[in-house]
Amino acid sequence: MNKIKLIIAREYLTRVKKKSFIVMTIIGPILMAALFVVPVIVAQQTQKVMKVVVVDDNDFFINKFTDTDKTKFVYRSGDVELIKSESFDSGYDAVLHILEGTQSIKTNLFYKEEPSMNFSSLIESQIDKLLFDRVLIDSFQIDPVNYEKMKSLTKSSVSNIKIDASGNEKESNTDLVRVVGIFSGMAIYFFIFLFASQVLRGVLEEKTNRIVEVLISSVKPIQLMMGKIIGIAMVGLTQFLIWVVLTFAIIYGVQLSAPSLFEVTPEVAEQAATLPGETQIPMVDMNSAATVQTSIFTKIDNYFNISFTVLLLCFLFYFLIGYLIYAALFAAVGSAVDNEADSQQFTLPVTIPLILAMVLIVPITEDPNGSIAFWFSMIPLTSPIAMMIRLPSGVPAGQLFASMAIAVAFFILCVWFAAKIYRVGVLMYGKKVTYRELFKWLKY
Amino acid sequence: MDRTQEITNKINQIIEVQAVTKRYAHHLAIDDVSFSVARGTIFGLLGPNGAGKTTLIRMINQITAPDDGTILFDGRPIQKEDVERIGYLPEERGLYKKMKVGEQALYLAQLKGISKQTALERLVYWFRKFEIEGWWDKKVEELSKGMQQKVQFITTIVHQPDFLILDEPFSGFDPINTNIIKTEILRLKEEGTTIILSTHNMESVEEICDDIVLINKAKKVLEGNLHDIKQQFKEHLFEVTIDAGEELLPQLQDNELFTLKESHLSPSGLMLIFQLNEGVSGNTLLNSLIPLGTIVSFKEILPSMNSIFIKQVNATK
Repeated sequence: MNKIKLIIAREYLTRVKKKSFIVMTIIGPILMAALFVVPVIVAQQTQKVMKVVVVDDNDFFINKFTDTDKTKFVYRSGDVELIKSESFDSGYDAVLHILEGTQSIKTNLFYKEEPSMNFSSLIESQIDKLLFDRVLIDSFQIDPVNYEKMKSLTKSSVSNIKIDASGNEKESNTDLVRVVGIFSGMAIYFFIFLFASQVLRGVLEEKTNRIVEVLISSVKPIQLMMGKIIGIAMVGLTQFLIWVVLTFAIIYGVQLSAPSLFEVTPEVAEQAATLPGETQIPMVDMNSAATVQTSIFTKIDNYFNISFTVLLLCFLFYFLIGYLIYAALFAAVGSAVDNEADSQQFTLPVTIPLILAMVLIVPITEDPNGSIAFWFSMIPLTSPIAMMIRLPSGVPAGQLFASMAIAVAFFILCVWFAAKIYRVGVLMYGKKVTYRELFKWLKY
Repeated sequence: MDRTQEITNKINQIIEVQAVTKRYAHHLAIDDVSFSVARGTIFGLLGPNGAGKTTLIRMINQITAPDDGTILFDGRPIQKEDVERIGYLPEERGLYKKMKVGEQALYLAQLKGISKQTALERLVYWFRKFEIEGWWDKKVEELSKGMQQKVQFITTIVHQPDFLILDEPFSGFDPINTNIIKTEILRLKEEGTTIILSTHNMESVEEICDDIVLINKAKKVLEGNLHDIKQQFKEHLFEVTIDAGEELLPQLQDNELFTLKESHLSPSGLMLIFQLNEGVSGNTLLNSLIPLGTIVSFKEILPSMNSIFIKQVNATK
């Protein structure tokens, strides 16, 4: 037992002391934080003030567009071509030409620099709103002001409330649930790839520099293998924890120093509220993304169908078991081959389930209790990712425990299998290994 | 052999390989091999490439297990704990390239079950002795091959094993370092360590081995005391130098005592090689030569380990 501790300590310390580890540990959170912060900043920055010249052939829209913080309208009439050249010369950003027509109205928006998505949607929604109001007045003799009143009087609001097994009710935020599920699934995926492949490289290193025979004359091969797997797991956990803490610290710091960045701007809120239909999906997404970012720090617990502590524990469990299963398989592969290039043929079939789980993120999020989600969260090679995607939206306890039990049993099987291959493989040189050969080693 | 002698013999054996067989998928690596290694001796494990030496060594180190037969250590079946009393220098050996020399030596020593403190004290002693103390904080990849070999030798013996297995310990060393290691091996023997030496370097076998076993094609072909084996394979050849000229040759025609195999003039006289006939002793030859002139030198030519090795291996082809 003492010897396995020595091995774990060596595996851990040599990796943690490496320059590349320290650099990655510092750069990682900066990149991660940038992933959260930069889109918000970029979205804010690109919304520069757009000055629009409106040319209306119907004379209906004159003076009817509403100016906003980022969009100012002026009105001209006459030859469009002439106005266009004049306007762009005198610093306007866009020319909106509304063609003659009664029922459906065709408009052309001219610009020299691609405008933001928000800008185009804003123009479209204002035109739609004006036309909608015209129809209200002309065809139904309804005052748009009254219409708004009617709408607000008849407005309903549906809250998603999930009742769990013990009868407790909880309001859920589907967007947040999805984001958390996908995020933890991805984290596990990257962790497995990053660190299980380090196990492969570590085993291969000991084999190619021929130190392995000295080592296994002192310790049992399985001690050496498990020591390496556990040591690297601890490296991964260390790095992951530092990343999480630093990432949140950076995001929190940015939020404190520039709170306005993360607020839902009145403009966005207004536009989202006055939506006549489903035409403004990008806007909604931005809005909810902003909500997600702010609420992560506030009342995270309220939105899940599962307590945050349980979710965190499950994450740690699947994070580790997923890594352990793949690390054992990768260790077997590393011991069986002579160089990294040869390892491809064995790692590919092992990693296909992992990639499959990533591909299935969308169907699983769409229907977290469907049969795809169910089966993939039971199969141990995919369950760490699939189950984590499902968990935030609530999974029956029975299924969760079954999935965990299968994963643990499979891990033990993997270690048994890997140890057999490893024992023979590390001393086998200069032989192109085939699957048939591997099968024979199991019987040695 | 009477009972007491048998028991004394048993106590004297540190390792007994008893009818050991190891099979791999397509071939027999070791076929019913038995031998024993006496305590405090240097034992040569010889054989051509692919004979099964490494398999045998790995079984003694419990890296693999025999399919049939047993290996006794100190008179009882070898156990996992015994690895701490064994030092093993494999033929295919290496070190972690990116790790510092001292750190690495400490790690390997601790894996053999000694405390960090003890390991540190002993390593400092050995690093000084081998004059590599300046390399403690260097990475292994910065070391020359010879220096790496020294570090490996130190890590093999630092836990003061009773029993050492050295597989080609001299490969990669220059003559000076080979000598340092050879001296060290002999000193360890003086201190009571038993050593199995597996090598193709027959010169060093003749120099330091007490007993040998020769393995070829998975089978044992020769075993015993080095001196006895040489006696057993001797061809009754004698080399004599007489202070005389070639005029002597007609008097040395083949007769009932000997056959003259070779003759030539050397600065100190006429050099002759005789092969004695069955039952004729060296003294008889000497007596018959004394009347012919002054004998400058007279010695028996024993076969070299090299020639015995080649002969035996070819014979079992």
